[in-house]
Amino acid sequence: MVIGCSRYRVTVAVTAFLGATLPAPALAQQVLASNLADLSLEELTNIEITSVSKHAERLSDASASVFVITAEDIRRSGATSLTEALRLAPNLQVAQVNASGYAISARGFNNTSANKLLVLIDGRSVYSPLFAGVFWDVQNVMLEDVERIEVISGPGGTLWGTNAVNGVINVITRSTQDTQGALAAAGRGSRESDAALRYGGTMGTDGSYRVYGTYLDRGHTSTANGSEVNDAWHNGQVGFRADWNRPGDQFTALANAYRGQLSQPEPGELVITFEPAPALGNVTTSGENLTARWSHTLQSGGNFSAQTYYDRTERTVPPLFSESLDIFDLQLQHSLQPLGIHTPVWGAQFRYDMDHTTNSDRVALLPASVNQKWASLFGQDEVALSKDLRATLGIRVERNDYTGYEFLPSARLAWKFTSDNLLWTAASRTVRAPSRLDRDTFAPGKPPFVLAGGRDLRSEVANVYEVGFRGQLAARFSCSITAFHADYDFLRTEALTPSRTAVVFSNDMQGRTSGVETWGTYQAASFWRLSAGFTRLSENLHLKPGGVDTQAPLAEGLDPAQSWMLRSSLDLPYQSELDAMARHVSALSNPSVPAYLALDLRAAWKPNKQLELSISGQNLFGSGHGEFTSVLTRSEFGPSVFFKILGEFR
Amino acid sequence: MSAAGRTLMALAVLLGGVCQQDCWGQIDSQSAEYQIKAAFLYKFSDYIEWPPEAFSGTNGALVIGVLGADVLADELARIVGSRAVGGRPVSVRKLRPGDAVAGLQVLFIGRSEVNRLSDLLGATKGRAVLTVTESAPTVPAASVINFVVIDDKVRFDISLEPAEQGNLKISSRLLSVARKVIGRPS
Repeated sequence: MVIGCSRYRVTVAVTAFLGATLPAPALAQQVLASNLADLSLEELTNIEITSVSKHAERLSDASASVFVITAEDIRRSGATSLTEALRLAPNLQVAQVNASGYAISARGFNNTSANKLLVLIDGRSVYSPLFAGVFWDVQNVMLEDVERIEVISGPGGTLWGTNAVNGVINVITRSTQDTQGALAAAGRGSRESDAALRYGGTMGTDGSYRVYGTYLDRGHTSTANGSEVNDAWHNGQVGFRADWNRPGDQFTALANAYRGQLSQPEPGELVITFEPAPALGNVTTSGENLTARWSHTLQSGGNFSAQTYYDRTERTVPPLFSESLDIFDLQLQHSLQPLGIHTPVWGAQFRYDMDHTTNSDRVALLPASVNQKWASLFGQDEVALSKDLRATLGIRVERNDYTGYEFLPSARLAWKFTSDNLLWTAASRTVRAPSRLDRDTFAPGKPPFVLAGGRDLRSEVANVYEVGFRGQLAARFSCSITAFHADYDFLRTEALTPSRTAVVFSNDMQGRTSGVETWGTYQAASFWRLSAGFTRLSENLHLKPGGVDTQAPLAEGLDPAQSWMLRSSLDLPYQSELDAMARHVSALSNPSVPAYLALDLRAAWKPNKQLELSISGQNLFGSGHGEFTSVLTRSEFGPSVFFKILGEFR
Repeated sequence: MSAAGRTLMALAVLLGGVCQQDCWGQIDSQSAEYQIKAAFLYKFSDYIEWPPEAFSGTNGALVIGVLGADVLADELARIVGSRAVGGRPVSVRKLRPGDAVAGLQVLFIGRSEVNRLSDLLGATKGRAVLTVTESAPTVPAASVINFVVIDDKVRFDISLEPAEQGNLKISSRLLSVARKVIGRPS
């Protein structure tokens, strides 16, 4: 194998649908199950009463495995990065590789280059068309200003396009009307320190804004034998957001810019087995993006929304590689007024990107510069079959430059058999279209090549079947359970050219996964909430006839067969609170990572309305554990502590 | 049928079987509406400034009285109980017709008490009490805040005059979210 893709990481965006498109009622149900009081005033005014009672208009939208991480969950977890906050979702596998590196996936296929999960931040896709994954080290948000994170495990192709194969993560920041006044936070701990500043104000009678800046600095980690991992990381980010609300119209503009640097730990971001190993320099990252969104309530009763963004990212990985990528994206959506028993929605998306890479003599993306475009059209109809039974049929047709037209249909059925209990089932076809990594990677940088791209690579396809239940089983207990089965075909492997002198990417693997995701919340007392989650996954990969890449099916050893988590949130007297989270992940086999149990604790005290002091401890159980990759290079995470002071002044 | 198909069928049957046991509490649409209103009531206090004398002592509790809407009072108690409200403890009081309104900072009057509305609002007139009602949107409300249900959503109107009489300061944030602000100088 010439390139170990497990560590190949690079930058930016995609083929998604409006980030905020998970329609509000889908959330209303979740949110009600958790806590309405955590919503903003605006959101409360937008909750449809009937979406939580018998006439839910868009019930079937909720017929998916959705977990919502609330702002309160994030605050009480003590998370310092988006990646850490994602550990709160039981339907995600989050494994930390080193200070800034994470492998995050849903329903298997986890890797640092996991390529079947779509991630949106305020409607902007951060899934990189370069390698079909997410550069987690540049996905930073000011966690204090996050409204919620929706985590949908399972296929979302019809609504979100190719690449939403195994899940969608939707990070949604608060409206600026909810972030008025000044906020300052600073934290320091044994592994990291951070700071955040924000100021929000109003503009005229309809508008409001905020500006913010954040900084995070993580020190280097160590391996199990105590040797230093060269992975220190820091990132600074600034941005603004403005919202205007008038009856019938909402307009939002937001922008972010960041600069970051990380040391490049062995074996490097690009794993290339050349001798002698090159000296690895510091990776530098930067990016700027600007998004505008308009939502208009039509006279006819429907809704029209448009969103556009520009996203530029740069990444330099010395000595092997650098990239700059510019993306323009435009999305339109039209929700129609119900016509009889039908409630149709349709939309279109267009995306154009300009990707420039600088190659080295060891590895190259050829051609070095590529402009690509994507276009897609989708339609979905919700049919009210009866008072309690709704079917949702949808299809998206998407065109990309590599494989042409892709079809992403789905059918869902939801039965709301009591006012707050829902049984649903779904069948979907999803597709992962090839990325530049799959098609254009050559090594060395000049002929004769040992790795010669994947010019004939086609899309990976998955057919997914799900059945789930979500509801309130008792006044104080709500839960969700989903069982799924997925059949994958044309999974990426490597193959030999006919001359047997070079390796090319091919589609010689099939796979099956099945499993269960379940979670629940029990309000034990008015001051005490308990939450638990459990996932079980069975994954089976095998080569198709003629396939020679015997390493590829071993990737199933990167996913734990099961994991569970338990959280306790306790309010104590004197405006103090105590939170605990235990999580257990079963062993990985390739490379071997032993099962581990991690215990995190956080205590906080609010002496007055403006101030919060907190202390968090992570990995307090045992001497430490690793989460991903080989014991020789992976970071080991032992007990750590973090102090934080936060002031908020309106 | 494939093994996986059989598994799914078995699960569907299993879940279906469990669900047929009709043993779970239900939320009807009225209680859903009151859940949302309770959340609003809880949040309103963040955007209202009472005169200092409205509270007993500097760390005096904020007392929310609820009349004629026990579902709302229960939900509100649950919200308030599960979170620390910075600086000031909050308590919820279920009121019965005839109970005194002294010592309250917030008074919610449910629609079942619509006949006694003018008496109740008369009793709080000029006091630093945030009065909240749920009268029909066409009826000019004498309360500070009036909930209305429009397009299946809970909205609210704010009347400035009773607020000024009670010496309550309402933040512009709250005014901006209101459906209508009555008495705003234009």
